[in-house]
Amino acid sequence: MAHMLEERGFATAVIAAVRAQAEKTRPPRALFTAAQLGRPLGEPGDPVFQRATLLAALALLERTDGPVILEDYPGEPPGLADNPTWTPPFPPAGDAALDGFAAELARVLPVWEDAKTRFGRTSVGLSFQAAADWPAFAARVIAGELPTVPGHGTTALAARFLCDDIKALYGEVAQAHGPAPSSNQVDAWFWYGTIAGKILLALRDAAMASDNNALKTVGGRFFVPVPWLPK
Amino acid sequence: MARIEDIPQPTRDAVLAVPCPSYDTAPFVSGPPLAERRIAIVSSAALIRRGDQPFAFGSAECRFIPASTLNADILISHVSINFDRTGFLRDVNVVYPIDRLRELAADGVIGGIADTHYTIMGSTDPAGMTEAADQIAAQMRRENIHSVILAPV
Repeated sequence: MAHMLEERGFATAVIAAVRAQAEKTRPPRALFTAAQLGRPLGEPGDPVFQRATLLAALALLERTDGPVILEDYPGEPPGLADNPTWTPPFPPAGDAALDGFAAELARVLPVWEDAKTRFGRTSVGLSFQAAADWPAFAARVIAGELPTVPGHGTTALAARFLCDDIKALYGEVAQAHGPAPSSNQVDAWFWYGTIAGKILLALRDAAMASDNNALKTVGGRFFVPVPWLPK
Repeated sequence: MARIEDIPQPTRDAVLAVPCPSYDTAPFVSGPPLAERRIAIVSSAALIRRGDQPFAFGSAECRFIPASTLNADILISHVSINFDRTGFLRDVNVVYPIDRLRELAADGVIGGIADTHYTIMGSTDPAGMTEAADQIAAQMRRENIHSVILAPV
């Protein structure tokens, strides 16, 4: 895209999350930052580092020693280290059954309200379903049905974005109070410590067993990240 | 860290295997000092405004994000589930640095920010995005914008 925009007369500076890709595509100006994938500007709530990264990228716009500039951002972004002062918002669900999802949600939702107040926003909203409707929809997919919702005309898409919303809600709940956890801490709590995590794994199993090819494909690739699949 | 050795498998191999275009030309546009430039953001995070349809897998479309859009109404609909989203849950600026850009404009470091910003699906082959580039270029000409920050996810 940077190349195409320069061809159309615009100066561009790319913040590059993966150096190997920038080396291949050779955009006119790129700043490689070693920040975690998903956080290319740095850590949330760290405007100083974000500003410094953005300034370094903007500074490339004034450079004239092209046609290809690839700079490494000199600052070391805060890393992936776990925060020992963070504790999960709820104790691990243990061997709780999948039909406990609604009860778990009932406990989680008030904390989600706290998170929304704390951050002034929520990233939940892709599924076009109210959280209260999630357990019933998930149960139907796990039972082999092919439900849809207004706005998502296939079970594959409805289930995909339901998974996204469940992960987002629990991710916000994990950060509703106290110090910020690492992303790994949030993920480990979600996948190993909640019924919701088990629901997503069950949705994936149901999708993979489905005769619906779209659901099978989407469920296999986009419900559960590979690192969190059962070993 | 997103140094390649720090990216867990199989995402690491997938990232390295992404086809990358090569070009016969090397356009390089210069401009006035930063303090005289208004800047637009192009995010490849497939951002949407709350209530809009998420981007489709493989979509080559571009969507406009008016600068007036509240952070509370910006969602991320990128197809990949293999990057961290927990940072974005707390702060859109880790992906879409709109507040930082506003601050730099207020401080006079840049000349201003565009009225419109843009978002695409970063996993889509850019070879199919000519129309999207045309749309972005046309809107930026209307707004007299000449410089862009491209932010990944």
